[in-house]
Amino acid sequence: MISTMFDSSTIPMLQEVIGFAQARHEILAGNIANIDTPGYRTRDLNEEVFHDKLKKAIKARDQSRSGAISPGIAKVKDGDPMREVRDSLNSVLYHDDSNVSLEHQVTQISKNQFMHNLAISIMNSQFRLMEAAISERV
Amino acid sequence: MASALDISTSALVAQRTQLDLISANIANISTVVNEDGKYEPYQPRYAVLQTDNDVSTTSGASGVKVATVETDKREPNYRYEPDSPYAIKTGKWKDYVAYPNINMTTEMVDALQATRAYEANLGVMEISKSLGRETLRILV
Repeated sequence: MISTMFDSSTIPMLQEVIGFAQARHEILAGNIANIDTPGYRTRDLNEEVFHDKLKKAIKARDQSRSGAISPGIAKVKDGDPMREVRDSLNSVLYHDDSNVSLEHQVTQISKNQFMHNLAISIMNSQFRLMEAAISERV
Repeated sequence: MASALDISTSALVAQRTQLDLISANIANISTVVNEDGKYEPYQPRYAVLQTDNDVSTTSGASGVKVATVETDKREPNYRYEPDSPYAIKTGKWKDYVAYPNINMTTEMVDALQATRAYEANLGVMEISKSLGRETLRILV
């Protein structure tokens, strides 16, 4: 009963978004750590592929009414397009063969953080609703 | 699709490039020999900025990018240095050495302008972020 209560809400989806945001944050932090590494190419997780997969998972859940989103869509095997390091040749390639642009990376981190906070806030408000129901408060 | 943050980021990169070039111009204010060891007074370089439609929002706002880096072709500064191995041998400027014609004041003002523009864009980014944060407060 508890599992249907959680799984039919948006919480599993938010969980995936938070997981993805955390994984992406680690990779972006790695890019900034390697700002002066010669030959380093920026790495990134593909946001579009993630959102696409999430959308499909939500659609599939809504159609089947089975409840749960396939667990852990952010945890994928090697070779999956989600794992793909995004081709980021849109930035300048420097003479030391690296292409880390501090501004771009910080902006990406900031946007990623916002996405994370958004998911957390929605999750929080969902839990508050549940708490209100449990404690029979108005 | 790009967001307001991406547009501000493109401006940050453009202004930083300008600042890099100004630093190079000031650093090379007395440079008369090029990287190959040949006599060639340094010519100042300037970035030409261009609107970048690759970074644009659905509402039609576009970012900025460095289109080209132009090397200035201005006349050098001649200084009378007959003993210098780089002194001109013949003609009107005999016994003179050509030095880069870089105006320190102009460069400093340009540097200040680029810095202010960078700061302004940081300010806009801060506003964009706080807009997002404020929107989130609807939930709370």
